[in-house]
Amino acid sequence: MINLIQILIEGALVGLVYGLVAISFVVIYRASKIINLAQGEVVVVGAFLLWTFTAGAAAAGYPIPLALGLLLTFAGCVAFGWTVERTIFRPLIGQSAFTIFMAGVALLILLRGLTQLIWGAQSRSMPVILPEGALQLGPFLLNTRLLIGAVFTVVLTIALHAFFTRSRLGLRLAAVAEDHTTAHSLGVSVRQAIAVAWILGTMVATAAAVVLLSGSILSLEVAVIGFKALPVALLGGLESIRGAPLAGLIIGIFEALASAYLDPLTNGAASGLLPYAAMIAVLLIRPYGLFGWRRIERL
Amino acid sequence: MRPTGIWHASYATEARVLETVRSRLWLSLFGAVLLGLPLMASPWMLGELTNLFITLIAVCGLYVTVGMAGQINIAQSAFVGVGAFTAAKLSNMGAPVWAVIPAAALITGAVSVLFALPAARVKGFYLALTTLAAQVMFPIVILALPMSWLGGLVGMPVMPPVLFGLNLGTPSGLYFLGLAFAALAVWTTYNLPRSRIGRAFRTVHDNDSAAGVMGIPVTRIKIEAFFAGALYAGVAGAILAYMLQFVTVSSFTLFASVWYLGMLIVGGLHSPLGPILGVVFVTLVQEGLHTAGNAILQSGSGLGGGAVFAASSLVLGLCILAALIFEPRGLAHIWHQLMTAFRLWPFPRN
Repeated sequence: MINLIQILIEGALVGLVYGLVAISFVVIYRASKIINLAQGEVVVVGAFLLWTFTAGAAAAGYPIPLALGLLLTFAGCVAFGWTVERTIFRPLIGQSAFTIFMAGVALLILLRGLTQLIWGAQSRSMPVILPEGALQLGPFLLNTRLLIGAVFTVVLTIALHAFFTRSRLGLRLAAVAEDHTTAHSLGVSVRQAIAVAWILGTMVATAAAVVLLSGSILSLEVAVIGFKALPVALLGGLESIRGAPLAGLIIGIFEALASAYLDPLTNGAASGLLPYAAMIAVLLIRPYGLFGWRRIERL
Repeated sequence: MRPTGIWHASYATEARVLETVRSRLWLSLFGAVLLGLPLMASPWMLGELTNLFITLIAVCGLYVTVGMAGQINIAQSAFVGVGAFTAAKLSNMGAPVWAVIPAAALITGAVSVLFALPAARVKGFYLALTTLAAQVMFPIVILALPMSWLGGLVGMPVMPPVLFGLNLGTPSGLYFLGLAFAALAVWTTYNLPRSRIGRAFRTVHDNDSAAGVMGIPVTRIKIEAFFAGALYAGVAGAILAYMLQFVTVSSFTLFASVWYLGMLIVGGLHSPLGPILGVVFVTLVQEGLHTAGNAILQSGSGLGGGAVFAASSLVLGLCILAALIFEPRGLAHIWHQLMTAFRLWPFPRN
C-alpha cells in the first residue's frame, strides 16, 4: 500500500513537469493559434541559454550570480521569442493552419541544427538551481526539486488562467486563437499576440527546463520531452491552460503505474506506449480533449 | 501553360500526361541515361542514387497523403520502417523478392489504417498527432517484442534479393530495383490526381465538410489516403532493407519523418513534380554540404562531423521556411513558371 502511494506521488510530480511543458505548448496555441511541434526544441534552447548564463559563463571565467543569470536567461527568452515572431510567423499571418503547422516542422529542423551548431552535441551538466534531496512526509519521500516544480506549475496555471480569461490583453490573445482574420478586422494586433505568445511560451519552457534539468545532464536528447508533452496538451485540450496540468497528472500517474506493474510483463514497453494510447483513446471519446474549445463548423 | 499547336481529336489524346513529341523524346532520353548509368558510375554513386530513389518513393507516398488528401502524416519514416522489418522477416523466411515487396507494402498499409481509424472522430491537427503516436510507438514496440521475432535492439539481417536466379544484391542490381519502383511510384503519382479517388482526395483536401455534402465518404477517403501513402512507404522500406542488408530501429526516427515532410514542402505540395524536385534538391544540398564538410575536416580546423549534420539541418529548415514564406507552391511552381517563360519566349509572361 505504501509502495502504491509512493508510486502515485512520484507519478503525479513527474506528471506535473509534463504539464508544465504542455502549458508552454498551450500558451503558444492559446495566444496565436500556432501548433508548435518544435516545443521540445524550445525547451532545449531555453536550457542552453540557462546553461550559458550560469555554468557556461563560470567556465569561461566570468562567474555570474545565479539571480542575474536567471534574469539574463529570461531576457534571452524574450529576444528568442521576438525573433521567432518577427522572422518566421509574421510573414505567415492569415495563412492556413496547414502552412503554420509546416512552419513548426521547419522550426523543429532549424532549431535542432542551430543548437547543435552553436553549443555542440556533447552533453553538459546543469548547475543545481533547485535544492536537491527528498522531503520525508510520514513514510513517503518527496523529491524536493519536483515538489517545487509542482507547486510552481499549479501557481503558474492559476496565474495564466486568470491572465487569459480576465485581463484585456489575454482576451485579445484568445480572439487571435479563434481566428487571425477576424481578430485583425476587429483591431486586435495579431503580430503583438504572436510575439507575446512566443515570449511567454519560451519563458514557460525555460522554467520547465529549470525544473527538469536542475543538477542533471543537458543534451540535445532533452527535446524528447516535447513529444511527451504533446499528448498531455492534447488530452487537456489545446485551448485550456487548466487542462494541461490536470492531463499531466493523469498521464504521469498512469505512466508511473504502468512502469511499476506492467513493464516487467511487457519488456518495458507499457510505460512508453501508455501516454500515446491514452491520447488516442481520449481523442476517440472527446475529440477536443478534456477542456478544449468545441469548434462548430459551417459550410 | 500548355504548348501551342495541341488540339484533341480523341479522348485518348486528351488524357495523355506528355502532350508533345518533344516531351516524350526528352523523357525517353532521360530514361535511357538512367538505364545506362550503371555502366559508367562508381558503386558509391550508384548507392547514392539508389538511396535517392528509395527516398523518392517514400516522399511520393507522402505527397499522396499530405499533398493530395491534406492529411498530415508525421510517421512516414515509421511506415518505411514497418516495410523494412516486414521485408527482413519475410526474406529470412525464404520469400522471393516479387512476393516480399508487395507483402511489405500491404502490411505497412494495414498498419497505417490502424492509426488512420481515429479519422472517423477527429480531424486536422488532432489526426496528425495520431500519426505522431505511430512514429513514437514504432521503436518501443519493436524493442519490446521478443528478439526472435524482429531482432529487438540488435536488428535483423536481410537475405539478398534474388530474381529469376539473378542476384540483385549488387550495387547495380539494387540500382535497377530502386529505379524500377521509383518509376512506378512517379507514374502512379502522376496518374492518381486524374482518377476518381484522386479527385476525391483533392476535394477532401480543399474542404472536407463540403466533400461530405457532395456525397464523398470523407472518413473512408481519409483512411484510404493514409493506406495509399503507406503502400509507397512499404515499398521504399523493403528496398531499403535489401540495400542496408541489416535493419535496426535506429534508422527510422521521427527526425527522418520530418525530413521527408521537408523535402515535400520544398518541392511543392500541389504538383506530382514536387516530390521529385524536392528529393533531388535536398539530396544535392546534403551531398554538397557533406563534400564541403569533408574538405573542412581534412583541412584540420576544429569543426567536428556533427557540425556538418547540424549545418544540413539548418539549411533544410531555412529552405522549408523560404518555401513557405516566399513560394508556398514550392520548386515545382518555379519549374512550371520557367517552362512557361521558355515556351513564350521572346514574349513576356502574362
